[in-house]
Order: sequence, then C-alpha cells, then structure tokens
Amino acid sequence: MKLKMKELRRALYIFATEKTVGFTLISIFLGLVVGALFLAVAGFNPFRAYWIMLQGIFAKPSYISYTIIRATPLILTGLSIAFAFKTGLFNIGAEGQFIIGSVAATAAGYFLHLPLLIHIPVVIISAVLAAGIWGGLAGFFKAKFGVHEVISTIMLNWVALYFQNFLIYTKGFQKPGGETSYSIQPTANMMILKTWKQSEAGREWLLQHPFWKDLLRTPMNWGFVIAILMAVLVWFILNKTALGFRLRAVGFNKFAAEYGGINVNKNMIISMFIAGALAGLAGALQVVGVSHKVTLIAAMEGYGFDGIAVALIANSNAMGCILAGLLFGALKYGGAKIQPFMQAPSEVVSIVIGSIVFFISIPKLIKLILTRKSKKGGTK
Amino acid sequence: MLKRIITIFVLVLFVMSIFSCGQVKKESGIKIAMVTDVGGINDQSFNQSAWEGLTRAEKEFAIAVSYLESTQDADYSPNMETLLDAGNNLIWGIGFKMGDTIKEKALENPDQNYAIIDYAYGDETPANVVGVVFKEQEPSFLVGYIAGKMTKTNKVGFVGGMKFPLIEKFEYGFKAGVKLANPDAEIYAQYADSFTDAAKGKAIANQMYGKGADIVYHASGGVGDGVIEAAKEQDKFAIGVDRDQNSLAPDHVITSAMKRVDNAIFNVAALLVKDEFPGGTTVVYGLKEGGVGIAPTSYKLVPAEILEEVEDLTAKIISGEIIVPSTPDTFAEWMK
Amino acid sequence: MIETILSNLALILGTTLMYSTPLIYTSLGGVLSENSGVINIGLEGMMVIGAFIGAAIGYYVGNPWIAFIGAGVAGGLFGLLHAFASVTFGANQVVSGIAINFLGIGIALFLSRIFFEGATMTKSIQLDNKMPRPLNGVFPDGSILNTIFDNQYATVYLAFIMVLLIWFFLYKTKYGLRLRSVGEHPTAADTLGINVMGIRYFAVIMSGVFAGFGGAAMSLAIVSNFRPTLISGHGFIALAAMIFGKWKPQGAMLACLLFGGAQGLAVYLGQFDINIPTQLISMLPYVITIVVLIGFVGKSSAPSADGIPYEKESKY
Repeated sequence: MKLKMKELRRALYIFATEKTVGFTLISIFLGLVVGALFLAVAGFNPFRAYWIMLQGIFAKPSYISYTIIRATPLILTGLSIAFAFKTGLFNIGAEGQFIIGSVAATAAGYFLHLPLLIHIPVVIISAVLAAGIWGGLAGFFKAKFGVHEVISTIMLNWVALYFQNFLIYTKGFQKPGGETSYSIQPTANMMILKTWKQSEAGREWLLQHPFWKDLLRTPMNWGFVIAILMAVLVWFILNKTALGFRLRAVGFNKFAAEYGGINVNKNMIISMFIAGALAGLAGALQVVGVSHKVTLIAAMEGYGFDGIAVALIANSNAMGCILAGLLFGALKYGGAKIQPFMQAPSEVVSIVIGSIVFFISIPKLIKLILTRKSKKGGTK
Repeated sequence: MLKRIITIFVLVLFVMSIFSCGQVKKESGIKIAMVTDVGGINDQSFNQSAWEGLTRAEKEFAIAVSYLESTQDADYSPNMETLLDAGNNLIWGIGFKMGDTIKEKALENPDQNYAIIDYAYGDETPANVVGVVFKEQEPSFLVGYIAGKMTKTNKVGFVGGMKFPLIEKFEYGFKAGVKLANPDAEIYAQYADSFTDAAKGKAIANQMYGKGADIVYHASGGVGDGVIEAAKEQDKFAIGVDRDQNSLAPDHVITSAMKRVDNAIFNVAALLVKDEFPGGTTVVYGLKEGGVGIAPTSYKLVPAEILEEVEDLTAKIISGEIIVPSTPDTFAEWMK
Repeated sequence: MIETILSNLALILGTTLMYSTPLIYTSLGGVLSENSGVINIGLEGMMVIGAFIGAAIGYYVGNPWIAFIGAGVAGGLFGLLHAFASVTFGANQVVSGIAINFLGIGIALFLSRIFFEGATMTKSIQLDNKMPRPLNGVFPDGSILNTIFDNQYATVYLAFIMVLLIWFFLYKTKYGLRLRSVGEHPTAADTLGINVMGIRYFAVIMSGVFAGFGGAAMSLAIVSNFRPTLISGHGFIALAAMIFGKWKPQGAMLACLLFGGAQGLAVYLGQFDINIPTQLISMLPYVITIVVLIGFVGKSSAPSADGIPYEKESKY
C-alpha cells in the first residue's frame, strides 16, 4: 500500500509538472479552493455555492446550451489573443475588434438583401475583414512607426466603442426612437429554428415537448461549431504552414527571423490582421447567432479582456482555448446563480478566475510543493 | 499529497450531497424576482429603487423576492431563464434594454407573467406582460421650475448621460420648467457619452459653473457622482435624479427628480397578490399616479413659497392643464 | 475676447490636471516596476483595490491621509503578490499581471459587499474628510489662476512632486542606478553584487503602492466614493502612458498630461451646439494619443531585461 501511494505520488508529480494539462487542472482546483476560502470567510457555505454553480451549469439541457453560447465568443477572442501571443504580440485590442466585427456584421446583415445561403457567409466575411483591418491597423502602426501594439490597441478599443455608439445614431441604421440598430434580415440569422420556434405552430409543438422546449429556448446557434473549426484552423496555420512558421519565428526571436530573411514588419501586420479577424468573428457570431443587432454601449463589455484570461489559461494553445473558453463561460454563467439562490457575492467568480490565472503563472511553486511533499513522503 | 487531494474531493462530494438535499426550498406563497440591467443592484438609481420596491412588497404581502444581476447585455436572456426555472410568479426586467428579451420570453412561456420597467409595447403587449413607463419629463419639469426660480445668475445646466429619447425626456422637461419659471434664464446642456465617467461629469459641471451657472441637473448615472462632487466643491447647487440623492451632498443637492420605480413595482406586486395582474397593458406612471415626483427632502433647501408653486404646477399637470414636453419637437412647440 | 480665450484655456487646464493625476501615479508605478525588469500589466487591478480601500477607510476613519496610505498599502500587497509570482517563481509576468486584474476587481467588490451592507458602492465621504485643497480660495474669485487651481486637491500637487522624486531617485541616486541596471542587465548587476531579487521586489511592491495611490486619487479627490465602474480602463491607459513616455517618469507624466488635456478639450468642445456628433468628440483623446505617437514620438524600447524572469541558478 505504502509503495503504491509512493508510485501514485510520483505519477501525480509527473502529471502536474511535466504535462501542462495536468498542471492547468491543478491550478483550476487551487483557484476553486481560494474562491471557497473567500466564501467561507464571508460566512457562506462554499460547497453549497459550488453545488449551485454546478447545478446551474449542468442541471438542464438549456443550461449547458447557455454555457456553450456564453463560451463561444470567449473561445474566439481567446484564440485571437493566443494567436498574437504566439507571434510575439500582445493583442489587448480584442475588445475593440469584437465591437468592430459586431457592427460590421449588423450593417451587412441589415443593409444587404441576399438569399439565405449567401447572406450569412457575406455577413461573416465582411465582419472578419473589417475587424481584421482594425487589428491590422495596430500591426501597421507598429511596423511602420514603431508604435507599441499595447498602446495602440488600448486606444483603438475606446475608438471602436465610441464608433459603434456613433453609428447607432446614424439615420437609416438606428431603429427609430430606440437605442439600438435595426435587426439584421432574417436571411442573415444563424439561430437554430428562430422563426419556427416563435411561430404559432412551433410554440404549440414545443409546449408538448418539454425537452425540446427547454433546449430551444436558448439562442442555440452554429457559433460554437465555427469556433471549434477556427481553433483547428489556427492550430493548423501555426503548426503546419509556412506562414505559421514565419509568424512563430518572428514571435520567437525577431532579430533572428530578420536575419533569416523573414520580413518581420509584414508578418507583424499579417499576425495582427488574423488576430483582429478572429475577435471580429466572435462579434459577428454574437450578432448573427444571438443578439441580431448592436446596442448602445456605455462601457466595455469585457469580451476581449476575458479573452486574455482564456488565452492564458489555455497556455496560448489553440485547442486549449476551447476548453478554457468553456471553463470561463461556465464559471461566469453558473457563478451568477449563487447570487439569487444564496445571496453570496457572485464576484467570487472573478476571484476564482484571478486565482486560477495566478497559479498558472507559477508552475514552479506547485512543482516545489510537490517535490517537497514527495521527498518527505520518501524519507518517512 | 495525492491522499490529501482525494480526501478533499471525497469531502467535497459528501458535503455537496448533504446540501443538495436541502437545496430546493419551496416557498409556499408568491414569488417575484427581478433581473437588473448592467447597472447592478446598487446603482443608486432605478435598479436599486426597484429592489427597494420588491423588499417593501416582501414585508407587506409576505411574498418571496429575489434578484439577478446582469453584467453584459448578453446576460439578460439567460438570467430570465434562471428565474423562470426558480419558479417565480412574476419576473421583472429592470430597464428598456430588456425590451426585446422580455417579449421573446413571454411569447415562449405564455403561462409565466413578466413585467418591464421603461418599455412600452403598445398594442403588441403580450397578454402575460405589463409594460411600465414613467413620465420622466414631469418631475424634470418641476425641478426645472425650482431651478428657474432659485437661480441667482439666471444660468442653469443639464448634464445627460448618453443622448437618446429616454434621457431627452429629462432634458426637455427640465428646460420647459426652467423657461416657465424664468423666461430669461440661459440653459446649458451637455452629454457625457457615458454613464460611468465621473471625472467627465465633474469636468462638465465645472465648466457650467465656470460659465456662471449656479444649479446643474443631471440625468447621467455614475457620471452624476462627479456633477454632485463639483457642486460640493464650488458650493453651488445640484439636482439629483431617479432617487432622492440629497444624502450624497446634504447642503448642495437641493432636490431630486424622483422616478418611483419602487412604487410601480410595489403596486404591481399588490395587484398580483390580489390576482389582478394587469397583463397585456402598459401602465404609465406620471405625477397623477404617484409614480414620479420631487424628493421629500426638497423642503431643506428650497424655499417654502417655491414649493407651494410647485404644488400648484403639480395640480395643473395632474388635471391635464399643462402637458409637459418630452422631445425636441414638443419642446419647440411648447416654447411658442 | 482674449479674456474669454484665457478663461476657457484655464478650464481646460483645470480638467487636464484633474484627469491626469490618477494616471500619473499609476504610470509612475509602471515606470518603477518595468525599469527593474518586471512588466506590470496588473496596474488596473491595483488601482481598483486602491480606489476601494481609499474610499472605505476614508468613510470609516475620516482621515484622507490614512485612507491614502491605506490605499497604497493595499496596492502594495497586490504588488507583493505580483513580485512573489514573477520574481521568486519566475512567472510569466503578463500572466500574473492579468491575474492581479481579476483579483483586484473581484476582491474589491467582495469586500465592498461585506463592509457596505451588500452594496458594491461605498458611501460618500464628506468634503471636509476628503483630501485638502491647498489653493482653495487663495486666488481672487474669477481669476485665471483661481479657475485652474481653486478645486485641485493635494493629490494633484503630490503627483508632480512624486514625478520629481522618482526621476531623482532613478537617475541621481545609486539605488536608482542599481534598479535600472537590474532591468537592463540583471546578470551583470548580480556579478557586481547587486541583490537582483531584492531590488525587483522593492520595485514591484512600490509599483503597487503607486497604483493604489492612483486609485485613491480617484476615490478620495475626484469623487468621494467607490463604484465598480469608477476605474474602467484607467490602469491600461496609465500603462500605455508609461510606454508612450518611453519608460521614463517625466515622459510618462507628459503622456498622462496629453491624455488629460485631450479629455479637457473633448469636454470643452462638447458644450457647443456644433454639428459634430458627441461620440466623435469623445473619441478625440484616444485618436490624439495615436496620432501623437505616430507623428512625433517614434520608436520606443523597453529596458532590455523587461519581462524576463531572472534566475541566479537553477534552484528548483
């Protein structure tokens, strides 16, 4: 038995220190522990809080669906930031690129009248291009004028926010008397069975079939599938193409890359273009799949900033972004529920996320703890 | 280490299972819940006011109440679902931003009652929805009148959050009130393009005071913190909005244009308890219905004779003798 | 005519000073940390916790200086956390900085709910218990100087003193030289017997202290309470200003002033009934910053060891 424990411990050590996934899982666990400590100190039962969260995420098909819907834009903004990281750039601008993407998607979805199968791709492509250019702008400023991308993307976020609010007030785009734009044409809608489920017949049928009613009451759409495809695409570009190799080379060592004959400036612009396009896609999918319009925004909504944490939890790994995005979406969606059910502050979710990211930043500490433990265990 | 982790996991599962049994708590009576907009429950504004109304109803009618906060626009729909699943008799959406969501949910769930603040569906109100709107122009008119009477410099100001029809109701009602009291008064109006940037509110108010204004009215959420701060510093007057904001600066907030979201919520709760839920209608709260008004603390800084005149005006508005303008067009007409 | 122009300028200047102050403190924090070789992207979170602690202590204790220092200590504790991860454990500094941002807002709101009856907004501090206004009523009413300085709080002047002190410290003292050498060539510094880890700890903790001051300059002077949206992006703007100012205290200060000035301009232009939509005017400060960077500032480069964890020898 004793020996087995030792072996297990050894396995755990390897799991936690030599495999990033294992280490990430341990960080997530520790993050939850920190959150639990805060809740306990404030006089709330942490187990009950987490139980409510778990139920709030998994108890019904619609909850799972909402978690996925919540996660979809985060996966994409996470990918955007992860992609930029891999190429040596820090894209704080996913927030603004998201906004530009959603505005462009709404405009293309409302103004253009196209057949069903063409409209959605056109909407998405215009959003991706617009946001790509918006992101590429920061790359261009860096390449051409040496402006640090952190400054330019922070500034461009605010410019994008006011730009959206400006456009909403434009005649022809603003829904009269409202604080929103017009909704996109039905042909640009990507929500599953949207018209049917709001029709008489659809409602009638759904009342008879509670499972489907529950599932379809969410704005279920194809966004998640697209997000997964994008993760695969990003992984492919980075790891299997010459472009990816060049971009990573620039990220790894700019000077060496330049010496090796790679046009650093050009690749920087391309990289920021792709990062912007990914964040813009997140905005576009939110519009065609969920909101169908853009609304006046008074403050940053956080899709881009949350995306940074997603990218970091995923260790900038494209596939990891899917899981990290889901985790993040689940924490945010499920975490909100502890407020009405036990009056516990739902801000604890921020603390949990912060702690997870914090533990992820210090693999060495966890390694250290585990080595100490196993040494102690060995000498006993 | 591993043993410890396993122990903790087992413990967690054990305790969770205990609590999960006691978790589903069925209230015997009526349950009402609300979804806040992105301002959150303690916004010192209509979300907070709404929650006060609900807690008052809780005590009065022995019902169970709860709320759910939203941090993004995308939260409204899932939050509505969460409350639906919690088995509420009535679900409130606080704020016009939830207009489309509430309608969608109401059509999907015809047996569930919904209500919304600051949104009117007109003839298209579903049978299980109540829309509640306020005549914000009316209290704005009254505080405008007070400002017009009390200004010594003949200059007053209005700071708006973001320019859209709802906030314009405040602006034009205020302007009309000032002009009635004091046709010569000059009115500065400026929008901050934000509901959060307190520093900007302060800068705008400073600018207005610098130009000689001595009373500034704000309808701008968190931006208003800065407006009231500027009034404190410069020893000028400010007028609060939505709730009685006198407590923020007792010597400088002369009055507030109150929007009694709490009353509206309380009244609808009362009707629900009596089984008279007014589904399918839009309820308009003006001075007449006691849904808006000026702050009860106004007597502290506003002279009694002005308050008497305000009483008269209130009576005239209630009787329909005065119809307060609420848009640029109606204001232009009114000025004639 | 000239008088109107001058008084308008005075108003813009007053707004500039008010807007820039919190940013100056925070960007000074960034300068300290990054010159020692540690990226601090967690300034926003440190500012949030500083703003909350400042407002909370200010409300409960009633002494602005205790509140201000308390805010600095709170920021410093977050700095310690950042140093613990990034100096001792060689963390990726961007990662632990982002963690600090989430922790800052999460812990601030969590504490607020506990100490302010479930509210995420603190109660308002009385004017007498806020920071003093040293030049209040000193200049005659209506004069230009009065318009600028009448309602500026002590935090404003202190910010400029701090810029001077930090500049002096970094460039005129041997400790400053050590700090910078640690940021440029930690290995060389180590060989010369400089305590790399110790200096980095000091710099990162101080950067938290300054960011905490920046938050408190917001909640104890510009307004008198904390709300969740009080600090919305200021930390990132300060970070940008620090990079804009080429990692130098005086440069960061100028960048903050530029940004504050652009805000002042936006407020000034906003009062006219001109045909430019207000959203475009509000966009100005951000556009101006980019334009200035493109047109006048040119390439800037960070201290060469910025962002690279230093390890003496493989300890683990």
